[in-house]
Amino acid sequence: MTKLARTGAWPGILLASGILLVCLVLALALGPASLSIGRIWDLLMAGPVKGNLDNAIFWQIRMPRVLVAALVGAALAVAGVILQDLFLNPLTDPYVTGVSSGAALGATIGIVLHLSNLPWITVLAIVGGLGTLALVWMAARRRGRIDIFVLLLAGVTISYLASAVVTVMMIKANEDMTAIIYWLMGSFSGRGWPDVRIALVTIPFMIAPLFFTREMDILLQGEKRALELGVEVERTKRLLLVTAGVLTALAVSVSGIIAFVGLVIPHVVRLMIGPGHRGLLPVSLLAGASLMVLADLLSRTVISPNEIPVGVVTTFIGAPLFVYLLRRGRRA
Amino acid sequence: MAAPEALAAPLVALKDVDFAYDTRPVLRRISFALEAGDFVGIVGPNGSGKSTLVDLIDGIHQPAAGQVLVKGRPTGKYRRRDMAREVALVPQHFDLDFDLAVREVVEMGSYCLGKDPAVCGDPELTLARLGVGHLTSRRFSELSGGEKQLVVLAQALMQQAPLLLLDEPASALDVSHQLRLFDLLKELNADGLTVLCILHDLNLALHYFDKLLVLSDGEVAAFGPPEDVLQPEVVEAVYGVRAYLHRHAGRTYLTFSPRLRGERRGRVHLVCGGGTGAGMMRELVDAGYEVTAGVLNALDTDEETGSELGLHMAVEAPFSPVGDEAHAENVELMRASDLVVVSAVPVSHGNARNIEAAREALAAGIPVWADEGVRVNDFAGATGELAGAGARFFAGEGALLAAVRGRSLGGGPSALSAASGRVAAPLEHGSSAGPSMSGPLGPEDRPPGPAT
Repeated sequence: MTKLARTGAWPGILLASGILLVCLVLALALGPASLSIGRIWDLLMAGPVKGNLDNAIFWQIRMPRVLVAALVGAALAVAGVILQDLFLNPLTDPYVTGVSSGAALGATIGIVLHLSNLPWITVLAIVGGLGTLALVWMAARRRGRIDIFVLLLAGVTISYLASAVVTVMMIKANEDMTAIIYWLMGSFSGRGWPDVRIALVTIPFMIAPLFFTREMDILLQGEKRALELGVEVERTKRLLLVTAGVLTALAVSVSGIIAFVGLVIPHVVRLMIGPGHRGLLPVSLLAGASLMVLADLLSRTVISPNEIPVGVVTTFIGAPLFVYLLRRGRRA
Repeated sequence: MAAPEALAAPLVALKDVDFAYDTRPVLRRISFALEAGDFVGIVGPNGSGKSTLVDLIDGIHQPAAGQVLVKGRPTGKYRRRDMAREVALVPQHFDLDFDLAVREVVEMGSYCLGKDPAVCGDPELTLARLGVGHLTSRRFSELSGGEKQLVVLAQALMQQAPLLLLDEPASALDVSHQLRLFDLLKELNADGLTVLCILHDLNLALHYFDKLLVLSDGEVAAFGPPEDVLQPEVVEAVYGVRAYLHRHAGRTYLTFSPRLRGERRGRVHLVCGGGTGAGMMRELVDAGYEVTAGVLNALDTDEETGSELGLHMAVEAPFSPVGDEAHAENVELMRASDLVVVSAVPVSHGNARNIEAAREALAAGIPVWADEGVRVNDFAGATGELAGAGARFFAGEGALLAAVRGRSLGGGPSALSAASGRVAAPLEHGSSAGPSMSGPLGPEDRPPGPAT
C-alpha cells in the first residue's frame, strides 16, 4: 500500500482500468441471452444494425444500460471523494448535501404529475437536486465564505424536509406509490441512449477535479493550513462543492438513489493507495464504475427474469465491507 | 520585481492595528516593524493575542483598523499564492487524519511556487537540512510529536519565503528537541531568513532571540532586546507572577513565584548563612510570606539569594563579625516579624550575636523555631540558652517548613502542634490584618507591584 503511493498513481490507475474492462465485458456478455467474448467483439465492430436480435440486445439494451451504470458509479465515487475531503470526514457520502433528496422530490413531482420519464422526470430531478444545492449553499454562506459544517447541517436538514414532502406525496398519490418507491430505490432497468446522453454530461465534471489534486491534497490539512500554504481556499471549495453537487444530481436523476457506492469506494481506494488525490480520484472513478456495473449485472441475473434493485445489491456488497473497514480502525 | 518604494519598506510593518473576533477585541493599537534578518520572539500570557497577531501578518485575518504591510503592501492586496511566497507559517497545531507520506506532506509547501521542479526545491534535501532526511519515506502518522514538528517546519521552508512565522513550535517538544529547533532557527536566520516566533519559555526567549515583543492583553507591552524587555517588573505586570533574575554561569535566568507582591501571609525572619537558608528563603517567599534575614555577610550565598529575591536583610561587610549597627538592624527586623526561623547555620563567634538577637526576640514574645542542626554546629556555645528561653527545635528544614506552612497540621506530635498552634494564630491573624503586618516596612522598600 505504501509502495503504490511512492511509485506514483499509474500502477493503480492501470489496475483499476483493467478491472473496469473485465466488468464491462462481463456485463455486456451475461444476461438471459449470453454472448461469447468473440461475439461481443464482432458486434462492437459491426456497430448498431437493424434486424439482428443479438445486435439489438447488445446495442439497444445492454450497452446503454452498462454505460449509464458505469457513468453513475464513477460520478458518485468522485463526488464521494470530494465531499469526504471537504468535510474531512471519511464517513460522508454524496447524499449528505441534500442534493439526492432534492432530486427525489423533483422526480416524485414528475411521477405524480404523470409526466414522461424522459425528459421531464429526469429534468425535474436535476432541478430538484441543484435547487437543493443552491439552498444549502445560501444557508452556509457567511461573510463571503462557505462554512462547511453549517453546510453539512443544512444539507441533512433539507434532506429530511424533502423526504417528508416525498412521503406526503406518496400517500396522497396512492396509485403512483410503487413507481415512486422504485424510483427511490434506484435502478438501471430500461435505461437507453437518451439516458446515456444525460449521464455523459458528468464527464467534464469528473475531469475538472483532476486539475485540482494538489489543492485537494493540501486541503486535507484543514482550510487554515491550506490558506497559509497559498491555496485560494474559498474558490477551490466552491468549485469542488458545485462539482460534487452537479455530479450527484445528474447521477441520481438517471438512476435514483443508489446507496453505498459514494461512501465505500473512496474509503476502500484510500486504504489501498493512500489519500493522495493524483491516485485517489482516478482510481475511485474507475472503481466506482466497476462496482456499479458489477452490481447491476448481479441485480438482473441473480433471480432472472426478475430484478433485484441495484441499490439493494450495492448495499449487500457495501455494508459488510464497510463494517469490516471500520473495525479495522480509522487508518484512512 | 518589487517596486522601488517596496525595497525601502520594512519586511513587515504594523501601523495602529486593531483586530476583533466578532465583537470581542483581541488586538489594540499594535505598531511595530520587522527588518529583513530580524530574529524576534513574541511572548505573552495565554489569550494575549499572539496567534492572532501572527495570522494578521500572514493575511489570514484583516485588521479592523490600521494597516498590516508586507514589503510595503497591505496583506489584503495579496493573492494567497503570492502571500505564501513572502510569508511562511508553522502552525501551533498540526495533524493529519489522512495517512500521507512525509515526502508528500513536505512537498505541499512548494505549492505556491508552481510545478517547476527546478524552482520548487527537494523535500528530501529540506528534511536533511533539519537533520531528519531519514524520515522522507516514512508515513506522517507514524512520527513522534517532535518529528512531526520538524516535518511541518520543512513544509514551511519549502515555500522559500523570506519571513518565517512560528506559533509555539516548541510546545510539544522535549528539552533536546527544543534546543535543536532553536539552534536550527538561529542557523536559518544566519542564512538570511527573518524569523518571528511565538514561545512561552521566557528563559529560551532571553537566550535565543535578538529582540522580544511582549504582548499583554492585546497590546504591545514592550519591544526590544531581551535583557531590556524581560525585566522582573515587566514580567510581573504582564503575567501576574513574581519574577526574579539570577546570574549563573555567565547567563541570566528568570525564576518565578506564583504569588504577587503584597499578597502576604505573614512575616518571617531568617537567621542563616553559608547557603543554609537559601532553600527556605525561596520556599517561604513562594508560599507567600514576607521574608527578612540577617545578619548575613555580603557575598555569602544566602545573602546573594536574598538580594535576587529582593529581601530586606541586615548585612555586614564580607568575612567580618557582626557589628553593632548590623546587629541593631537585625533585632529591629526580628521584632517586626511574626516568627523567627533559625537554619542549621554553623555558629561561631563571628555570628553568635544572631543567636543572641533571637533570644531577645523570644523575650519580646516573638516565637523562634530552629533547625536541630544549629545545635550540632554550634562552635560558640551560643544556642544552649535558646531552648531554655522557649525556642522550638525541629528535625531538619523539611519539618520546619512543614510546620510553618501547615497551620492545619493539628494531628502532629504534641510539642509541635502546641508550638505551631501558638505561632499559627498570629500568622493567620497577620494575613487578614494586612497593612498592619507590613507596617515596619515602608512602601518605598518594596519593588513596585503589578499594575493592577
